[in-house]
Amino acid sequence: MKHHVTNREYWRSLEELADGPEIRGQIEKEFPGYDPEEIVALSRRSFMRLMGASLAMAGVTLSGCRRWPEEKLAPYTVTPKGRLPGVTEQYASIMELGGVSRPLLVTSFDGRPIKIEGNPSHPFSWTVEGKIGSADAMAQASVLELYDPDRSREVVYRTIEEPRVTNWESFRQALDAQLMKLRGTGGAGLAILSETTTSPTTLRLKARLLEAMPGAKWYEYEALSNDNETAGARTAFGQPLRTQLHLDKTAVVVSFDADLLGTHPAHTRYAADWSSRRRSADEGQMIRLYMAESCLSITGTVADVRLASKPSRIGLLLAALAAKLGVSGVAAPALSKEEETFIAAAASDLQNSGKLGAVAVGAHLAPQLHHLGHAINEKLGAIGSTVSLFSVPGDDRPTHLESISAFVSDAQAGRINTLIVFGGNPVYDAPADLSIVKAIAAVPMSVRLGLYEDETSLRCTWHVPRSHYLESWGDGRAWDGTVSVQQPMIEPLYDGKSVNEILALLIGEKVIDGDSLVRQTFAAMLPGGTEFEEKYRTILHDGLQSDSAAEMVSPQLLPGAHFSFPDSAPGSFEVRYQQSLGCYDGRFANSGWLQEMPDPITKMTWDNPAYLSKKDADDLDVETGDMVTLTLPGGSMDLPVYVLPGQPIGVIGLVLGYGRTCSGNIGNEIGFNVYPLRTIGTFFAADGVTATKAHKSYSLAMTQNHYLIDALGFEEREERTGGKFESGKLIHETTLVDFKADTNLFHRNTDGSMSLKQLFNPPMQFNDPHAWGMAVDMNSCIGCNACVIACQAENNIPIVGKEQVMRNRQMHWIRIDRYFKGEPEDPNIEVVYQPLMCQHCENAPCEQVCPVAATVHDSEGLNTMVYNRCIGTRYCSNNCPYKVRRFNYLDWQSKDPRGWAKPWLNIPDTQQREMVDKIKRMVFNPDVTVRMRGVMEKCTYCVQRIHGVQIAKGNIDVADSQNNPAARKINDGDIITACQQACPTQAIVFGDLNDPAAKVTQLQKNNRAYPILSELNTRPRTWYLAKVRNPADESEQPA
Amino acid sequence: MRRIFGMTEGDDSPLFVFPRWSNYALPVIALAVFGGLLYVPTLITLGASPRTTAVGYSPTQPVPYSHRLHVGKLGLDCRYCHFTVEKTAFASLPPTQVCMNCHTKIKPDSDKLAPVRESWLTGQPIEWVKIHNLANYVYFNHSAHVNHGVGCVSCHGRIDQMDQVAQQQPLSMGWCLDCHRNTAKNLRPLDEVTNLGWKPDPDVDPVQFGLQLQKSYGIHDVAYMTSCSTCHR
Repeated sequence: MKHHVTNREYWRSLEELADGPEIRGQIEKEFPGYDPEEIVALSRRSFMRLMGASLAMAGVTLSGCRRWPEEKLAPYTVTPKGRLPGVTEQYASIMELGGVSRPLLVTSFDGRPIKIEGNPSHPFSWTVEGKIGSADAMAQASVLELYDPDRSREVVYRTIEEPRVTNWESFRQALDAQLMKLRGTGGAGLAILSETTTSPTTLRLKARLLEAMPGAKWYEYEALSNDNETAGARTAFGQPLRTQLHLDKTAVVVSFDADLLGTHPAHTRYAADWSSRRRSADEGQMIRLYMAESCLSITGTVADVRLASKPSRIGLLLAALAAKLGVSGVAAPALSKEEETFIAAAASDLQNSGKLGAVAVGAHLAPQLHHLGHAINEKLGAIGSTVSLFSVPGDDRPTHLESISAFVSDAQAGRINTLIVFGGNPVYDAPADLSIVKAIAAVPMSVRLGLYEDETSLRCTWHVPRSHYLESWGDGRAWDGTVSVQQPMIEPLYDGKSVNEILALLIGEKVIDGDSLVRQTFAAMLPGGTEFEEKYRTILHDGLQSDSAAEMVSPQLLPGAHFSFPDSAPGSFEVRYQQSLGCYDGRFANSGWLQEMPDPITKMTWDNPAYLSKKDADDLDVETGDMVTLTLPGGSMDLPVYVLPGQPIGVIGLVLGYGRTCSGNIGNEIGFNVYPLRTIGTFFAADGVTATKAHKSYSLAMTQNHYLIDALGFEEREERTGGKFESGKLIHETTLVDFKADTNLFHRNTDGSMSLKQLFNPPMQFNDPHAWGMAVDMNSCIGCNACVIACQAENNIPIVGKEQVMRNRQMHWIRIDRYFKGEPEDPNIEVVYQPLMCQHCENAPCEQVCPVAATVHDSEGLNTMVYNRCIGTRYCSNNCPYKVRRFNYLDWQSKDPRGWAKPWLNIPDTQQREMVDKIKRMVFNPDVTVRMRGVMEKCTYCVQRIHGVQIAKGNIDVADSQNNPAARKINDGDIITACQQACPTQAIVFGDLNDPAAKVTQLQKNNRAYPILSELNTRPRTWYLAKVRNPADESEQPA
Repeated sequence: MRRIFGMTEGDDSPLFVFPRWSNYALPVIALAVFGGLLYVPTLITLGASPRTTAVGYSPTQPVPYSHRLHVGKLGLDCRYCHFTVEKTAFASLPPTQVCMNCHTKIKPDSDKLAPVRESWLTGQPIEWVKIHNLANYVYFNHSAHVNHGVGCVSCHGRIDQMDQVAQQQPLSMGWCLDCHRNTAKNLRPLDEVTNLGWKPDPDVDPVQFGLQLQKSYGIHDVAYMTSCSTCHR
């Protein structure tokens, strides 16, 4: 029997593990989405029609006179000070999401923002202080949202009859008339329903509004909320406090359903801190992460010890740990053997590490659990050591659920006559048992300020376009309360207004422009006069106000707490709601980048199936793609199944944020809206769920089986060469104990001096004057997709749409291969992430087969792809053992990802269009060619960034006495690729292998480093660092 | 009975008879060969013709600005107007303000300058027609050239002798590579870069001088200079 090499230990999907005929076909066929039969099957008539049309088009183009169309150049009339046309500029800013601002550095080219990165000067985004800042996929993709042609552009007045496009003037008149009435009653009847915010300016204006109109009401709602955490602190300490873990100082962390590295608002900081304690494996020390969770989260996939559990058992597990550690007021519950082992190991590790240990509790869990978590941390002495507590202004408010319930009852009782909805999308995402639609309908005048004319806008009488955060002034606070200013990069494209500006209008302020409003806020915080301007500009430049973080507090636990957790009803399923890692709560549904970004764990694109464990799926007799009917207390729904190894048994994972109806062309009718099942009582998890097979199926576009690396033939070769079943092995991993015992573990089977015999002349050295190379640390990678989106934004990578993803045509230059290890039935399965991009082989197989030399090496080792030479034979892709080349089957940039345009005789329009949409074009990076239909493309090691630095350094005039020749030298760290920049864990390092001191050189010499598929003598420039796990082991106490 | 290429099975006669359709084969083959022979030279001729490479392209500009007058006669340096040429990829066109520096005083009422005054008053840019146009996948960088001793004249010709600017060189890839393969021959001292009439000192060995400049500018060797990634991204 033949095995795939990946089949020995690691597998990407259940289909690959089973090695069925389907997966065979997938591997054997180089281009599974491409069917030549389709072309042959074209009838003679349609063929003639197509040919006739193309001939006619050719005639039209030939009649042009000049080779190039005439182009115009339009210089400034007056050049702005310091502006160099064609040179990018960077500004610090923030994006607020769920009341927490994410620090950003925005790159702007000739006045249009084109790339978003993390702010390297801000502790909540830097990965290398002052040098590299990381931003997550959602923040990076927000630049696409700015140029979304579906964003609302006009003020709309909606009556019962029909919507009517109107203008700002008539809106202001209507609002002023209403405000006149409201002022008479002290604001009684005015209600604001806002998304949550900690912006100092918004909070200042809110206070002013409530002061001017004491009768007005302010409600806040978010579908994904950290409220339970503050509520838990309130019961524990009597204050609404936030928690921050310091994972860089932590030896053992036990997480209860807290996705610290994936969805926590401070996940970038957490991931950077955690990874620093992973890289220390080389010094023989590592953090140990325990994870008990009711889903398979990013944190769970990289945990050293993981326990998959039902949502209702999480509380019991926490109670058991607390009881073991001697926390008072809690009784030890009965546990299963598996749970007992997990808790016993966690308890002993925590006890041993004392104040270097920490317990984290998931934001969605009940306040009681947070209270107990604080009690454990207190007991360990972790508070003040690995755990900080602080209070951030704006957190002291009713919870989102209390607030939205109050709003609905007030509105339905007729106590509201004017409603202003700031952002959010409550009609779409409010709890299903609140009749939010009726509540809004009961309000005579409802105004919606939103980026899109969405579900909520359709229910309001007025829709007013909101300016994007990249278009307006604002401010906000990071997770620890640090204040930053949100700077606009561009004038509002669609004449939108910000929340602050509308608030100022409501208050009746004289000055209502965003800039002045933010300045007023800072004027109160900073010294006056000329000093103010200087200080304010420093804040703008750095992207944060130094020392503005909330003060750490060390409060006393309130005495007399008692905890009790009910056990779940056995037998029935439980549902666990999960945040979408792309769409968030649904607000990014219209972002093509995020829709097509494969989920880190399931590799799903464009959909949100229900996650089921292998055992449950077998019991229900369903497979991935079959539909099941879920019946919850709140309602029932048909959903497709995704069989996810690692999913806890008895738990169905439902992803929020899909099934939008009014999000725009990209996001409408994508996936399933599960909000109608979610009620106040079952906001995070539901019990008593039944699932039955629905005897229907559904097509899912997942990329886990795409670009499989087949190692067929390795066995045969090994038989002849006497290998040791090591060749073709993509993944290497070990445990810390084994690694410490033998650091040479990964090189035992390969002779370092091994040189494979070469049939032809050996390749050149490709090291003049630099030798570019990369190292990817699989021990740090958390699969978070930040690099995927960074690469997409940097390199103008198009999206292709669900239908084309199913044909293996997604274009991402980096794919993160997620491998499972273990039995598919075991919910505590192990996961490895391996980001794979072009390996820049010195002896590149792709180059040897290109008939037109469209892919060749440059002198510094880049395997370059010359688009204008490529004729699209795809031989290179066929011959690439790593499967990292992507082909432009169609003109993706101008094509509609949701379907074919059929402009004439119902023939699908697959031809290159003349232009990409004018607005969408603005996001392109001008330093990278926009590829046309019919050419191959792949990772370039960000050649534009390399040459950008090389040219800038080369321009330094060394004849000038002020400069020395060393000024021209490119130092390690001067060139940072887009993926390296975005990586929150510094798993990707790029540099010059000629430089022995360079980080990348050091990493490639590391004991864990190895090239993959090097048996093929490809001599890749990208090396991987093996994963080291740190499981609980009696013989090994954590450092 | 089965017929194979005009031969009858079982026929004793060794005579081979071509089928009827083969009468047409010869003219078809002849046409194909002739056509093929014609096709290749036509393609090369058309591809290399000045019409394709646009040598001599000289569109009428909205303002009849004369480089012959401003550069040739008055001696303005190139960088007075194209002031970003040493810093950026693009040698930017002068903003209207630069024109108005002088033309508020000199010929303030000239008809020819009407578009400039209008731009100055309305803030709308003057739309010049682009002459030196490279394909979008070519990333030519002015600063990288002028900071390494490549003279303006090498690509643009004697602009100082043109009333209306015309393209002088084919700007084709072969033409670029001619220079990238022989950098030393095409270098000059940095302070002579904008001097369009510069001639090397006849007493100095041009080869030695070029090599010396190449070394002092830190220009890479041929392998680097002719790598695809040097110009294409």
